[in-house]
Amino acid sequence: MKRRLVFRVNERLVDAEAWEETLALDWLRRELGLTGTKEGCREGDCGACLVLLGERGEAGPVWKAVPSCLLALGELDGRHVVTIEGIAAAGLTPVMEAFLDQGASQCGFCSPGFIVALTAFLVEGRIDPVRTLVSIEGNLCRCTGYGSIRRAADRLTKDFADLPRDLGARLAVLGKRGVLPPSLAALMTSLPEPGSRPAAAPEGLNLGGGTDWFVRNPDPEPGTGVAFTDRQAGLGRIERTGDFLSVGAAVTVRAFFEDLLVRAHAPGIEAFEAQMASLPIRNRATLAGNVVNASPIADMTALLLALDARARLRSASGTRDLPLADFFLGYKKTALRDGEFLEALLLPAAAGPVRLNFEKVSKRESLDIATANTALALRTEEDRISWARLSVGGMAPVPLAARAASEYLVGKIPDAATAREAARLALQDCSPLSDVRGSAGYRTRLLERLVLAHFVRLFPDRGLLEEFWP
Amino acid sequence: MKSWNPESVQNVLGRTKYIDDLPEPAGLLHGQPVVSKSAHGKLLSLDASAALALHPSVRVLTARDIPGENELGTAVSDEPLLVADEWTYRGQSLALVLADTRSLARRAAALVKIEGEELPVVTDPREARAKGMIILAPRTMRMGDPEAAFRDCAVVVSGRVESGGQEHVYLETQGATAQVRDGGGIFVLSGTQSPTGVQEAVARNLGLPMNAVEVDAPRLGGAFGGKEDQAAGWSALAALGAFVTGRPVKIYLNRKDDLTFTGKRHPYSSDYKLGLDAEGRILAFEVDYYQNSGACTDLSPAILSRTLFHAAGAYRIPNLRATGYMCRTNLPPFTAFRGFGAPQGIFVMEAALHKAAEAMGVDPIELQRKNLLRTGDSFHYGMPVEEARTERSVERALERSAWDRKRTEIDEFNRTRRDRKRGMAALPLCFGVSFTKLMMNQGGALVHVYRDGSVGVHTGAVEMGQGVNRKIQKVVALTLGIPEARVRIERTRTATVANTSPTAASTGTDLNGMAALVACEEIGKRLSAFRSESGLGDAPWETLVSKAHEARVDLSAHGFYATPGLFYDGKAERGSPFAYHVYGCAVLTAEVDVIRGTYRIDSATLVHDAGNMIDEVVDRGQAEGALAQGLGWALLEDLRYDGTGKLLSDTLSTYKLPDAHFLDFPLDLEFLADAPNPKAVLKSKAIGEPPFMYGIAGYFAVLDALKAARGDRLRVPGFHDLPLTPEKALDYLSGVIP
Repeated sequence: MKRRLVFRVNERLVDAEAWEETLALDWLRRELGLTGTKEGCREGDCGACLVLLGERGEAGPVWKAVPSCLLALGELDGRHVVTIEGIAAAGLTPVMEAFLDQGASQCGFCSPGFIVALTAFLVEGRIDPVRTLVSIEGNLCRCTGYGSIRRAADRLTKDFADLPRDLGARLAVLGKRGVLPPSLAALMTSLPEPGSRPAAAPEGLNLGGGTDWFVRNPDPEPGTGVAFTDRQAGLGRIERTGDFLSVGAAVTVRAFFEDLLVRAHAPGIEAFEAQMASLPIRNRATLAGNVVNASPIADMTALLLALDARARLRSASGTRDLPLADFFLGYKKTALRDGEFLEALLLPAAAGPVRLNFEKVSKRESLDIATANTALALRTEEDRISWARLSVGGMAPVPLAARAASEYLVGKIPDAATAREAARLALQDCSPLSDVRGSAGYRTRLLERLVLAHFVRLFPDRGLLEEFWP
Repeated sequence: MKSWNPESVQNVLGRTKYIDDLPEPAGLLHGQPVVSKSAHGKLLSLDASAALALHPSVRVLTARDIPGENELGTAVSDEPLLVADEWTYRGQSLALVLADTRSLARRAAALVKIEGEELPVVTDPREARAKGMIILAPRTMRMGDPEAAFRDCAVVVSGRVESGGQEHVYLETQGATAQVRDGGGIFVLSGTQSPTGVQEAVARNLGLPMNAVEVDAPRLGGAFGGKEDQAAGWSALAALGAFVTGRPVKIYLNRKDDLTFTGKRHPYSSDYKLGLDAEGRILAFEVDYYQNSGACTDLSPAILSRTLFHAAGAYRIPNLRATGYMCRTNLPPFTAFRGFGAPQGIFVMEAALHKAAEAMGVDPIELQRKNLLRTGDSFHYGMPVEEARTERSVERALERSAWDRKRTEIDEFNRTRRDRKRGMAALPLCFGVSFTKLMMNQGGALVHVYRDGSVGVHTGAVEMGQGVNRKIQKVVALTLGIPEARVRIERTRTATVANTSPTAASTGTDLNGMAALVACEEIGKRLSAFRSESGLGDAPWETLVSKAHEARVDLSAHGFYATPGLFYDGKAERGSPFAYHVYGCAVLTAEVDVIRGTYRIDSATLVHDAGNMIDEVVDRGQAEGALAQGLGWALLEDLRYDGTGKLLSDTLSTYKLPDAHFLDFPLDLEFLADAPNPKAVLKSKAIGEPPFMYGIAGYFAVLDALKAARGDRLRVPGFHDLPLTPEKALDYLSGVIP
């Protein structure tokens, strides 16, 4: 709907009545003429439209690179967007110079997106070589083969190895060293007050990160009722409440993997972050959005099913909790009733941490939708499995909780026979289709191997690899 | 300021204006094509009433509104601008909707009601051939007597090879803006590699002489062949809209439309037979290529001829027969894409050689080395092999990649590891440079020295990221003896340089750089005569120029270059179609995850022949980028149509191209030293397409690892169905692919 929105674009404060559902990309290009931000795909796959987004964190603004093609104007209220024009306002920056030295810009269409991604990397200030590559994983370049871009990025990693931890101090250094115009860097330490308050109980469509909704609605009609979970108080938190770890509806994929409670509950879970979308998408996509979207192949949903999550649904009359497995009724059909929204995902934590493995195969290793995925969480006592939850994605119209396999595993010794039987039982629930990501037969063969792979990974000392692949 | 490419500076600042970034002229209408929703049908009626009712600005144009000839095809007239009676692929333009905004135009286009009668659909090239759906006639090149030679062979292998199509994914999609000019002509700003091609198409469609149509090509956000012939239709539609309404019209396809409406690299299905003597020397080779040409002829004949010219790859084959069929199917017309038919041909040759290696139980590298082309050999089209750098490249690449040591390490790794296997493969390269269509090998330039000493250069070359402007800038600066910063390369326009060839076939710098050089030499000649006449001695450039202007010396010159020595007898299939060949060799290693059927490229070593490089940064970028696209084609990019001709991989979430993780491996690139090329500008060599072929080594490196997982890698039969996706890898590991 139309609302008063107050936000900053580069060094300029915008205070306007505007349709919230307008895409930031269109608005920046058409209304402000900021055409350095490019449209390459309009589905978050190419990164040509990346902008820096500053939003409120626990301790001041948090800056991230996000795709502006999946970002509603309404989301900008009380926030700050920095585009390539803002970064380039004072001329060439060290990021750009590194690009030029390496010849990392060929046709140039993707270049602004890469510059924004690497500038965000420096603004975030956690500089290490692995993160360097991750910072550009959401950007496609068709010309260079990325060699020159990686060389430029590696140089920045060396040149900016010692940035201050404090955002204000870091921005001051980046301003002084020309990564950002100093006047802009100074503005980036605080955010404007929003122009309007979100409704307490929003009606109609309640959007998370929008990373899937906008893919399906690339030209949202003005007037589409849109509310944003991350503008509502309290939905962005992960906290321990009683026997549960509560993950609020606005928690992003990135925040989830970075959270210490989550990491303590499923040690090693952070290793799977790289298999989920790309950094700019993880910066925006929420777990709740992944769940309500009800894609049978949703990666986070597969993880949540293995973590035995419950969905807390809120309506005007209160809340109800549902095992996540019961939330999916059919292809893209959920148990959500009119006027209800997914408020939180609850992970049972009373019985202590779980051991978790996630397996996914897609055509391209990163930023690709899985052909099949599966997660296995379990606890052991002595050398037997005492509790297990296996999930399966991409093999049925809904994400599957492989209940028979999960029940079967309890009390078993995790040997080859157990793993094979679990795979057999999991496949009994499956009815895969053939589509552009793979044939039904391939999916079946693949899933069996992925279930076996769970056991190979979770029980590395049992010689399972040798038994399965002699 | 350092000597950076001035256009790249604008790129990284975000200031380069692509077509959709330019300020929109007042009164602009946005165009959206209405397209066919099935792959073959007869158009019975087109009802625009609902679209027209949507908004007063809406206009709907159909074939009847075309004042000139309703035709885009240049080789064969089989591609209407707007379908009048029968559509032959899904996504073919039936009408053009114009409206005040893009979103209005899109919504109105969706309201145009099409009624038609469905006709049978063919998507498979072999089926098309069996049904006689062939474009032009089959074409055969022949050398020696393969039928007889097979009788003397100790080893004969045969097989079938598939290679898939490939979407260009230029990051900037297709687009154009057209405006009526004073005096009744049309001005088109076109995202094209072929300004003259667009000019000709617009003139033809509107019934205008070419001089009434002016086409400018700004810098393109990537093209890779996809904007060679296939940019013309969108420009012509914009021009039609402007011509009919009198208002400026812009057409800019969104990604999904671009993926759905436009043609891609040709899929091929091929049969081969290869014969060798007991020592592994190739004696005879026969191959039949079934090119899936799509619904219209487009550039298919020229692409097929490049396939045929590259049938033997980098090898000496005394007896050869190569036949190509252009099979007409109900898919969008397949078109130019970096390599232009050569990758498909070279892949078949390599597949055959690898099959022979399996039959003989030897490592493929032995057969590759044994059969390399040498100076003094003859290509199967009769051209003598001059200064072959094949062996030099291969030996250097083997040395640089430490082939023998690596082979031992890989074998040891494979002996001890169950979950992972490694593989390695090489690809020797020989690629002919020149347009295979003889008349296209010409270039023009117009050079102005302004009286302050700065220089403006116009050529027929279109900059699309390949660095042609940078190279021409350097050629001009060097020829005139002035700093690069004094030289500006203007955008390409038909009004300044006419009758240009498309910027394609890797020849952009060869043709246009040479034409610029010719023009500069002419100006240089005048200036040096003036310098001696006027006794200016060693006066600086600026003084010389200013004095020359005062003395009324012409400071502008047109340069023209036509590649010398080219000839071809199409009947005999003999001649000298290429100015020269580019050589090189790639060695790639890969690792397969045996459990999951996934894989990674581990390393690449390239030794590449780029002649005397004009700009090493540009050439390195081209080589790395070409390898990336080649690997994408060989392993990852999975272009899928269903049996009804519907594109299944119609978004970037379903069509995956290489990302930074996919290409995160050490790449060691060495340019051959002391390798001047007397046949091109400043002794350089063309760089755009040849390194694309190195991606083929990626296919065989992964296959080598997969074979190791199945048993004795030297004897286990492989399979040749590109791209080698994780699905095929797992199907092979689990025996579904035998």
